[in-house]
Amino acid sequence: MLKMTHLSKVYRTEVVETYALRDFNINVNEGEFVAVTGPSGSGKTTFLTIAGLLETFTGGQYHLDGVEVSNLNDNERSRIRNEKIGFIFQAFNLIPDLNVFDNVEVPLRYRGMKAPERKQRIMDALERVGLASRAKHYPAELSGGQQQRVAIARALAGSPRLLLADEPTGNLDTQMARGVMELLEEIHREGATIVMVTHDPELAARAQRNVHIIDGQVVDLAEDPRFHHAVHAARANSPA
Amino acid sequence: MQIKPILAALRRHKAGTLLIAMQIALTLAIVCNALFIIQERLAHLSEPTGIDEANIFVVKNEWVGAPDTIKVDAMMREDLQVLRQVPGVQDVTPSNSYPLRGNGWDDAVKLNPEQLQDTSGATIYFADEHFIDTLGLKLTAGRNFRAEEIGRMDMRYKLAPPVVIITKALADKLFPDGNAVGKTIYLIGGPGTVVGVVDLLQAQSVDRWASGFAYRSVIIPERLAMSLGSFYIVRTKPGQRDAAMRAAYTALFAHNPRRVINDDDGMLSFTEVRSRAYERDRGMAILMGVISVVLLAITAAGIVGLTSFWVGQRRKQIGVRRALGATRDDILRYFMTENLLISFGGVLLGAFLAIAINLWLVTRFEMHRLSMVYLLIGVVILLLLGQGAVLAPAMRASRVPPVEATRSV
Repeated sequence: MLKMTHLSKVYRTEVVETYALRDFNINVNEGEFVAVTGPSGSGKTTFLTIAGLLETFTGGQYHLDGVEVSNLNDNERSRIRNEKIGFIFQAFNLIPDLNVFDNVEVPLRYRGMKAPERKQRIMDALERVGLASRAKHYPAELSGGQQQRVAIARALAGSPRLLLADEPTGNLDTQMARGVMELLEEIHREGATIVMVTHDPELAARAQRNVHIIDGQVVDLAEDPRFHHAVHAARANSPA
Repeated sequence: MQIKPILAALRRHKAGTLLIAMQIALTLAIVCNALFIIQERLAHLSEPTGIDEANIFVVKNEWVGAPDTIKVDAMMREDLQVLRQVPGVQDVTPSNSYPLRGNGWDDAVKLNPEQLQDTSGATIYFADEHFIDTLGLKLTAGRNFRAEEIGRMDMRYKLAPPVVIITKALADKLFPDGNAVGKTIYLIGGPGTVVGVVDLLQAQSVDRWASGFAYRSVIIPERLAMSLGSFYIVRTKPGQRDAAMRAAYTALFAHNPRRVINDDDGMLSFTEVRSRAYERDRGMAILMGVISVVLLAITAAGIVGLTSFWVGQRRKQIGVRRALGATRDDILRYFMTENLLISFGGVLLGAFLAIAINLWLVTRFEMHRLSMVYLLIGVVILLLLGQGAVLAPAMRASRVPPVEATRSV
């Protein structure tokens, strides 16, 4: 589903080159739930933005759903983002001027979908996250957890092949975070491929697989003993 | 199309939206009426006089002292002879006035002396048998005056010429069913028989009050012989007007220096007569043009300012839309459509406002009704202006990268 090989991302200024990702390799199979972890500044978000075609990379190869994306133009990248990827952001990123229904509708409109199909998908997605009754509410009228559920509904409405979640519970309290995480697990159980960036060992422990990044490279989790132990402890305490 | 969500978003930004829509409405209302006024003025200043303007100049001659009518008439006839001798001069006629002069003698014309109501107003031109040829008028019916028909006129005399020549416009008004030649008309002093009809001759005044009889004139066979002076209208051969003007001035003073010909308006080419006659109209047209351009520029600046502000404010939102699959064109289209919707609201309101302002001008200043063509032109200008003004900020918005969605500030 997602395969990066010897991928690098370099930010250049006149005097310095900074490697955000270096010789980066990752392979996510269809139906997997992968947690990408690592300390702040390790390159997790850079990985996610490249994986989501929000940014280009400097070297290497990236195949998404079998397509080599490095040569795609801006419009083609937009189309793939729209059709194959669902985004869940830490800050929810709902459009404050639009109500819940219209927010979920945004990616469907860009796909050129007819109104009846859009409506059906929106209502299905809102039902899925338990917010069908809030369709006419504005983001400001919802709690953080509800806003993130709307964002998940927006990501699901387009039936994407891949869900990319960037610290999806980072702005939520424990109870809301648990609810959102359970929802993601449920979505995964139904067959979705999820790649979640997080620095939270408890969340990482609930994923099928952990990919740990340090200094822009994928490393063995054991190379970060403190995080390694935290993940193991979380797994041990997990009711599942 | 994204109209529904754009409208929903605009409802959440009422103040800015209403401000720009109001600005567009006001601009449309003023620009439409200004364009209409400009067009009316321009049409006014291109109205034909019916005379050979390119080859005519006018001398305003005032006599020194207070010679009587008989003496003045004799001196005038000598002057006419002198002017005819000037190289390049084709013909000369004396008159009390000429088209576009601004003021002169106007009279009421009746078909029956018992009539209480005038049949028409008309401009009165005193002239001799050279008037038609000098001005280059076209005689369409009847004949010219004969030399023996030309009288000597003082301001105290009754205006009751035995024969008159009238313009076609007056003939059509007075005798819509037939030939005017041989018919009798009544001026303030008495009857006159129409002996000829000329095609086109504009009135002395181009002001609105004279517009009712702009081309209705009566030519009276009299030389207005007053010590205050009168006008000599001179027609030259093509291309010799300016040289003939200089020579005429010298020749007149050489023949009789006891006269005044003002430096300012004593000798005017007809080009200058036309320019002076329409100075106010031209000034008004320019003023209206400047006001329109300034208003349009202010509106365009307002649109650029507000859209730029909104683009800055919604940078993250644009990034989110891009992340969710919007192409650059989608973002560009979003802002263009948003502006179009605001502009539509503005021009709709502006159209009502334009008509209201025009109705006020019609009742207050006797202006004509605003033609819907100008309203349509105004609407198109405002919509294009809006789209043009929003283009740069919209393009800036379209360049916001999708990665903006992941940035926290």
